[in-house]
Amino acid sequence: MTEEFLELPGGRVHLLRGGTGEPVLFLHAAGGAGQWHPFHELLAASGFEVIAPDHPGFGKSDEFPEVERIDDLVFHYLDVLDALGLDRPHVVGGSFGGWIAAELAVYAPHRIGSLTLLSAAGLRLPEHPVTDLFLLPPAQLPAVLFHAPPPPAPVPDGPPDLDAVIAAYREATALARFAWVPFFNDPKLERRLRRITAPALVAAPSDDRVIPVEHARRYAERIPSAVYTEVPGCGHAMYFERPAEFAQLVAAFLNANPLTAAQSGDSR
Amino acid sequence: MKFSFFHLMPYAKLPDDFDTAYSSTSLTYPNANFDPAFGASLYSRYLDELEYADQVGFDGIAVNEHHQSAYGLMPSPNLMAAALARRTSRARIMVLGNAIGIRGNPLRVAEEIAMLDLMSGGRVDSGFVRGIGWEYFGHSVNPTKSRSRFDEAHDLIVKAWTSPEMFSWYGENYEYRYVNIWPRPVQAPHPPIFIPGAGSTETMRFCAEHRYTYMSVYAPVRIVRRWFDGYRQAAADLGYVADPEKIAFSVPIYVADTDEKAHAEGRPAVEWLYHKGLRQTAEMVTPPGYMSPGSLRGVLASGLRGFNASYDDLLAGGQAVVGSPSSVAKRLGELYDDLGGFGQIIGLFAIGPSTHEQVTRSTELFATEVMPVLRPLGTEGSA
Repeated sequence: MTEEFLELPGGRVHLLRGGTGEPVLFLHAAGGAGQWHPFHELLAASGFEVIAPDHPGFGKSDEFPEVERIDDLVFHYLDVLDALGLDRPHVVGGSFGGWIAAELAVYAPHRIGSLTLLSAAGLRLPEHPVTDLFLLPPAQLPAVLFHAPPPPAPVPDGPPDLDAVIAAYREATALARFAWVPFFNDPKLERRLRRITAPALVAAPSDDRVIPVEHARRYAERIPSAVYTEVPGCGHAMYFERPAEFAQLVAAFLNANPLTAAQSGDSR
Repeated sequence: MKFSFFHLMPYAKLPDDFDTAYSSTSLTYPNANFDPAFGASLYSRYLDELEYADQVGFDGIAVNEHHQSAYGLMPSPNLMAAALARRTSRARIMVLGNAIGIRGNPLRVAEEIAMLDLMSGGRVDSGFVRGIGWEYFGHSVNPTKSRSRFDEAHDLIVKAWTSPEMFSWYGENYEYRYVNIWPRPVQAPHPPIFIPGAGSTETMRFCAEHRYTYMSVYAPVRIVRRWFDGYRQAAADLGYVADPEKIAFSVPIYVADTDEKAHAEGRPAVEWLYHKGLRQTAEMVTPPGYMSPGSLRGVLASGLRGFNASYDDLLAGGQAVVGSPSSVAKRLGELYDDLGGFGQIIGLFAIGPSTHEQVTRSTELFATEVMPVLRPLGTEGSA
């Protein structure tokens, strides 16, 4: 795995890259920026070049203050694809990153080799509301994110790590910039999903207490080419809770839908 | 020294299991706990108390804005100010303030304050606040836009009040093709502006630049001292000495005939305010983007925490002043010295489950026995 910075007119994008094979743009969830997780490693080991940038205001990426809304994020990632020389990669997004992936596929269907949405946000389903993580005390997060929450980490001695608190607040601020209102949704997205032309995998954990599984089912209904699957015994943490299952699921889908030589550009 | 009577208008009647069953009086505290008939009686009583403060000689009577909360029952401070405008004739009517960070249409605020200015014969003071964090949840306003919306609304409102001609407005948050308010305010150039500060150096500089009144919010005196010094320094950096009258110390006050009686009656009110009324979670108070990372770092490093301090610590920290008239006058004199001076006391006299009789007696004693003692302090050149 290598760490890189991509220079764009609005600032620097931090990204992690590993593996060789067809390029996969991985768009992280609200959590997980800047982390090369076992999921990424397993996916790369399955024969893919995994490229995982940090969103604006997350991880080690700059703020990009002009990126304010979901449409700005779409243009941001079109810039990222251009800067990476990726013509038509596989695009995989989890939760918040899945929302970006879906919008990208709607705005620029010709730039998406295949689309994988892992419990993606983005749809407005008032009867199945998204949990307000902004209001949730951090101590309650594991019980909401995991099907089987890990035992709580021991509370470290000494004063709280101020830098860690500030870093988390910075990322939450970036997330709120894009998703406070409308709350993790784009009211127009659902009716635009018919524009997606790439093969699509829509996956959800069976026990999602953040984005109810009905969101994934609606995505699967509205995206013409979508196949739908659920990962049992898993919460919204998805690849943090069951990295091997998610890596295997995604790799199988990507292997079944290879980028043709004519479609894919060089990854570098 | 100028004195104002600030009414929080709390809904102090909480269920017995409040402490264990609810995380706050605000945002998610169910309004099934609100009894409309009781609420109506509270409004009547609370407006009487504000009018009484006018009658006994307070320089100002003050209301504020809060939403979806038992902590304060005034979603629209301008409505309360309108009720007071026709029933009082002497005191300044202080709206402290309109939460222009969460208003969808700041031009409406400019219009309503202008109306109030006319209705009150030019007695309106216009405070502007950003709105508390939980109100960004409650009104679905993006907290990452809070500062930008506040600044732009302020600029628009002041220009709407003062521009000699119609103008159009194209801002980051608001767009108006025709700004041409009727009526215009009667005070020239516009009603005085009050801004509460909670440590932000941007706010200190902003107040000093515009010569607005900088007012404190609930915090221990060692921290308020830093805020007031910051405001004075910001004025000095601009080449002038801050007028003490532009520095307002807000503090809960309870006065009774004796110290014993004051503490017996005042303690439940102070404890209600800090331990119940202000009970809230960190997530509610500082939604993402409501503070800059730098400001948050400053707050965390300063040791400013929640409101869990004991009654004795709250008194020692200058977060409430309780006692007989002579004790209260003495304590406020000490705080005046501890804070490097100020020219206004904004007293919160109705903050909890006190009875109407207790509040009016406290108000009367303060007006007749405390105000004369402190009156000479905090005027220009007195320090």
